[in-house]
Amino acid sequence: MSEANVEMEDGQEEGEPVVRQSNCETIERKGEITEMVNELAKNRQLYLLAVPGLLFLLIFAYVPMFGHVIAFKKFNSLKGLWGSEWVGLDNFKFFFMGKDWITVTFNTIFLNSLFIVFGIGLAVVLAIFLNEMRSVLYKRLMQSAIFMPYFISWVVVSMMALAVLGTTEGLLNRTLEALGFERVAWYSTPEAWPAILTAIYVWKTSGYYSIIFLAAIAAIPPDYYESALIDGASRLRMIFHITLPLIRKTMMVLVLLAVGRIFYGDFGMVYGIVGDNGMLFSTTDIIDTYSYRALRQLGNFGMASAIVLYQSFMGLMTIVMFNWIVRRIDRDSAIF
Amino acid sequence: MRDKWFIGFVYVFVTVFAVFCFLPFWMVFVDSFATESGLREKGFHLFPTEFSLDAYTFLFSGGQVYSSYAVSVTVTAIGTIGAMIVSSSYAYVLAHRKVKYRNILSFLTYFTMLFGAGLVGFYMLIANWLGLKDTIWALILPYLLNPFYVFIMVSYFRDIPYELNEAALIDGCGEIRTFVRIILPIAKPVLATVGLFYALQYWNDWWLALLFVDDYRLHPLQIMIRQLVSNLNVQSYIAGSSTSYTVTIPSTGIQLATVCITIGPIIALYPILQRYYTKGLTIGAVKG
Repeated sequence: MSEANVEMEDGQEEGEPVVRQSNCETIERKGEITEMVNELAKNRQLYLLAVPGLLFLLIFAYVPMFGHVIAFKKFNSLKGLWGSEWVGLDNFKFFFMGKDWITVTFNTIFLNSLFIVFGIGLAVVLAIFLNEMRSVLYKRLMQSAIFMPYFISWVVVSMMALAVLGTTEGLLNRTLEALGFERVAWYSTPEAWPAILTAIYVWKTSGYYSIIFLAAIAAIPPDYYESALIDGASRLRMIFHITLPLIRKTMMVLVLLAVGRIFYGDFGMVYGIVGDNGMLFSTTDIIDTYSYRALRQLGNFGMASAIVLYQSFMGLMTIVMFNWIVRRIDRDSAIF
Repeated sequence: MRDKWFIGFVYVFVTVFAVFCFLPFWMVFVDSFATESGLREKGFHLFPTEFSLDAYTFLFSGGQVYSSYAVSVTVTAIGTIGAMIVSSSYAYVLAHRKVKYRNILSFLTYFTMLFGAGLVGFYMLIANWLGLKDTIWALILPYLLNPFYVFIMVSYFRDIPYELNEAALIDGCGEIRTFVRIILPIAKPVLATVGLFYALQYWNDWWLALLFVDDYRLHPLQIMIRQLVSNLNVQSYIAGSSTSYTVTIPSTGIQLATVCITIGPIIALYPILQRYYTKGLTIGAVKG
């Protein structure tokens, strides 16, 4: 492979003077190509190392982007992606004519907002509280318990949710009954589900986020607290005036990352827990589950594709807009 | 004085939250040993009142649990090794200062995090273009490279002193040999962390199997749990045949028992997992 590169390179160098007379632009282009070939030849071992990763990205991340084309076609599996006929914006019309798109867009953004506020909020509280604990052993024990749910799959979580929320055998209803209250049929009460999903999300992720915040707290120089202590500040005052301001940047980064993905719901979570329970769709159906059903259950490739393109587009817009805003406030925090 | 009240509140709050985090695990474990009639009568409960191995006996009498376990273990093992090879070598190139096009490569990687191909294109790629439906590769290949994990490794590789590379180069060591013999051994901590990230992702995934695997012989454990909840004919699913038993099936118990054996390895490895995850997250957090 290396020999071929060198040969090509030689060939181009010989040809260059001739081209120079005819067209300036081609020379520049040729120069660039020579340079590139040189670079690839010089570091061929390194570029070779990158080949599997690059191939992966090409096949599994870039090639599927052509799938967006289906959004403008009437997909026929016999004719394939390129053979199917164009239908312009019909798929989008079909999706945007109905009311579903408003419901799923609202649910996606609303649920994600709840997750961001409560997920990160509680993680900050937990991190600060854990940091206040003087007994190292007890602190470690607590941390282990809190981090545990992060490691299990959403399918397992859905089983646990069923065990807690089940109508007749669920722990929650049994407890309610024992306390003299009425049972609640949670799996047919859509109003309760934004709260339930938020609780489950917080339960599963607060251990994860609190570790990030604990790391940020650990990076605060201890003399800040020492001088505050000499000045007679209480623990609470130190939290509000030292800890919180100094972990604000970490908080901002995590919030921004999450807001950038606000159009992407957690499919594994919602489909794992709610599944095909149509009674709960009004408050739990998100763009991801909706497009999944359109694809796998209705087999409507065109519409599923239109929804996905809408999601990808809105997701990209959100990030670009957000980055623009962040840039104006604080250049260093901008992503690009 | 005020501090005392505050510290008391801190301990109570954290303890209550930690107990809530742990309770579901405990409940699933305890109730997997309950009898079916006990579960029906008392519902899910926290204090063991009876001990029966009915669910486990039934579960292990059929073939499905073995094949599902084999699928999950195979996918996790091959996937993690493959992902580490692909991702670490790719990350090394992104981090290498001699590579002129590393910024272009980084951008190509980063862009996939911003603009996804989406479900339909991805589905068509695996199912139609690559023809991987109902094969084990559909569960392995799509996760071989996670941009986020790659960037964690990049930031670690960047901090390794470049003098090491220079010394190796002077000694006549090629770039690939330098990477394998010198850099990888030094990078063990980050490799362990990211390796566990990948292993957990493979073990816990059910999305790929949901999309691409209909054949029950290729069902990983996560899908098996799901099938047990939604499948009407639990008996034939577990046994892998239509042999009929006259006894009533402990269906709830079987679900719980399957959950227990699925999260069993995670709980057993939990101290290690927790330590490396904390380390990995801390690297990420400090680097921003």
